[in-house]
Amino acid sequence: MVTRRRTLGLIGAAGATALALPRLSLAAPETDKRFVVVLLRGAMDGLSAAPAIGDPDYERARNGLALENALKLDAMFALHPNLPGMKSLYDGGELIVVHAAATPYRDRSHFDGQNLLENGSEQPYGLDTGWLNRALAQMPGSGKPLGVALNSHMPLMMRGPAAVTSWAPSLLPPPDGDTVQRLAALYGETDPLLAQNFASAQGANSVAMGSGGGAGGGYQAFVGLMTAAAKFLIQPGGERVAMVEIGGWDTHVNQAGAFSPLSTNLTTLDKGLAALKTGLGAAWRDTAVVIVSEFGRTVAMNGTQGTDHGTAGAVLVAGGAVKGGRVLADWPGLKPASLYQARDLMPTTDFRSIATGVLRDHMGLHDAQLAAVFPSKSAVKPKDGLIRA
Amino acid sequence: MSIEAIIAANRFGLGARPGDVARIAGDPRGWLLGQLTPETEPPAPLRALPSTVDDLSAFFKWVRQIAAEARAHGMDPYHLKPQGAPGAAMAGGAMAGGSGDSGFSIEREYIRTFLPRYAVAVKARFDAAVASERPFFERLVHFWVNHFVVSGAKPGAIAMPPSFERDVVRPNVTGRFLDMLMASSKHPAMLFYLDNYNSIGPNSKVGKDPSLRASGGDPAFANPQHIGLNENLAREIMELQTLGVRSGYTQTDVTSFARVITGWTIARAPRVKPIQLVLGGRLNAKGLFEFDDEEHEPGPQTIMGKTYLQTGVDQGEAVLADLAHHPATAHFISTKLARHFIADDPPPAVVERMSKTFLATEGDLRAVCSELVRSPEAFDPVPRKFKAPDDYVISAARALPALQVDAGALLRAYSSMGQTPYNPPGPNGWPDVQAEWLGADSVWKRFEWANQTAQSVASTTMNPGALAQDVLGPMLSQATSEAIARAESPAQGLTLLLASAEFQRR
Repeated sequence: MVTRRRTLGLIGAAGATALALPRLSLAAPETDKRFVVVLLRGAMDGLSAAPAIGDPDYERARNGLALENALKLDAMFALHPNLPGMKSLYDGGELIVVHAAATPYRDRSHFDGQNLLENGSEQPYGLDTGWLNRALAQMPGSGKPLGVALNSHMPLMMRGPAAVTSWAPSLLPPPDGDTVQRLAALYGETDPLLAQNFASAQGANSVAMGSGGGAGGGYQAFVGLMTAAAKFLIQPGGERVAMVEIGGWDTHVNQAGAFSPLSTNLTTLDKGLAALKTGLGAAWRDTAVVIVSEFGRTVAMNGTQGTDHGTAGAVLVAGGAVKGGRVLADWPGLKPASLYQARDLMPTTDFRSIATGVLRDHMGLHDAQLAAVFPSKSAVKPKDGLIRA
Repeated sequence: MSIEAIIAANRFGLGARPGDVARIAGDPRGWLLGQLTPETEPPAPLRALPSTVDDLSAFFKWVRQIAAEARAHGMDPYHLKPQGAPGAAMAGGAMAGGSGDSGFSIEREYIRTFLPRYAVAVKARFDAAVASERPFFERLVHFWVNHFVVSGAKPGAIAMPPSFERDVVRPNVTGRFLDMLMASSKHPAMLFYLDNYNSIGPNSKVGKDPSLRASGGDPAFANPQHIGLNENLAREIMELQTLGVRSGYTQTDVTSFARVITGWTIARAPRVKPIQLVLGGRLNAKGLFEFDDEEHEPGPQTIMGKTYLQTGVDQGEAVLADLAHHPATAHFISTKLARHFIADDPPPAVVERMSKTFLATEGDLRAVCSELVRSPEAFDPVPRKFKAPDDYVISAARALPALQVDAGALLRAYSSMGQTPYNPPGPNGWPDVQAEWLGADSVWKRFEWANQTAQSVASTTMNPGALAQDVLGPMLSQATSEAIARAESPAQGLTLLLASAEFQRR
């Protein structure tokens, strides 16, 4: 463990070439593929992140929220002006927008919606383990953690049978190095398991807070977490799956404008994704990122220039491994009669088809394994072609 | 100093306070067995907490306020959810209310309203545990609260776990298992948490005529959204609270049992759901168990080969009695108790003896726990359990009488270590194995907390080496003792004590 962590400095200096070095078979996971899930808690407005500017009903349906300076992707779709980094990814063939997507959840509670999204069943509280952990449990490995949650406690999506590690910035003052050394030595003498996990935590701290600084507070916290995630994922023999979350998407009020909470959050998301790409370096080409929220928001603006809880939204799939530069949507349209319950974007793509498409074509899980990851009454067909062949 | 006294205080109790080990050294097992008696009244900090009726009223009052605010925003509080959508129950209808169009966040208001109430309850629980003269009894309370789980992680249940603990668990810790099971299954907190208040027999009077579930002519209730079985409570009673999963019962048994306990609901005027009563200003403040025969599935039911011919509430009580005394239950409960106190993989011989006692005494928990304490395996000097964060924090506070922790710091500590009391993620409670709590970030956060705690209480005159001897005695290794002695300051020595393996294992 200590040896593994000590190699980090070399990796940092050697950059991409380190990845090409032969790796110890014992420590090496079976895959070089990286998979990151970003959970947007609070229900992101998919029609703001990826507006359907070409829909003849767009301006009317969105009334005061229609974006005029959106970054055009194709004849129908665009990205929010605060997502220039994602626009670049799209242009470079590294971003897919999957629109009108939703989990099987059809009510509008954040709590239940997030619970279902994370547990991967068809019911809130339907399972007490998370789909991402169950996916990890299907992956070959040496038994050491392949997953890391950039979180102070383990989110449901990452709970379950597979070993995962975790790291989060602390609110408490850091103990001084002398005390750390003394305790590490003491554990070494008295308790191998504590010694190992203490070393792992020290390693995680040095990975996450090492060169480039740790996660900052407030606005920059998410960018810091994405930077930290990259640091875990680039280690030889290190974690291969990361989960990061960011809240603040429940934009009932004042959604429009370059400095609205939604716009600010989109900027943060954009910068966070860019930080992940930068941090991953050459490993970006082996990476797929899925960005998802528990549900979307109403099509129409409410009385306070915001939107309320809705149904379908946009799922973003990014990464060097992604066959991007496309918007995938069985677009239901924005006519009043086309809306779900006359108010929300109609869901036409099951989120699970996106997740299973990535897990199958990127992480190499086969059908029976996918059925264990997303148990469902009727089969959910993995979406083809999300990943480069 | 007797190693058995340390084990009694540490493995079975909540950790030694200075002087405790010396005090109980004469008869450690007798000290434990003496705690297996009913308490005359709950500890003082808990007596100050609100009652179940207050808890329910607080929630309903909040719902009413939200409804008023909804009206003020031009919303119809009866239609916070779209018509016909499933899940629009009591809390659901209000909690999901952001669907109803306006500029206020129901969830934000909810957290703002109930977080302080929750914090007070967690602090009271902590204070009671730190001051307890009956720490084995208190551990058992915590054990059973983690067995019959009502979690504030479910919206609407956040106010309920403390009063559930006081009503259901504390009076029955040393009584009969069936009594605790019965009290749990009839408590409004459990009926709400696992949805049974909303489970209606398809062939009951209400099931056949759903319009009866609406209140007198109020069109707002004309389309009841939940008419039918909900098997959540029935399943969890069998899977998590009595027999244990994969113990031989089938889905058919679960469904039959769910039919049996239809009509077990929260007291209210007939067929008007609590939220609707509240919204209509007609809250029945009793807020306790009620059997509603008109929602109860009529007829006999067969569960695990036995047919229950009883009618009314008697049918469910008969099933619960059989479940409580089933050999699978005896084994399941004994295993969980032994796992909690002895080892993640408890010695089969102990479990076997406890199970036999359980069956022979029809679930006398005092007898079962006495068997546990009398087991030689239970006093194996090798510590096989790793403290969960809750027990870790409590034991540190017991070792450090000078420590002052306010509710906010306590919640932050629990949250950073990943275990918030009364809020386990699901009805299966917190896991009781070290794998859950020995994760890298958890170990580090404990260390940080130990460090900060030590900084806050250590004085230049404190002798952490003597404290270590006092609270760990012969369990203290030479390496740890020396590391503490060589520390550069009392605070550093205390950090090493609190973070030591001996202090975290039991």
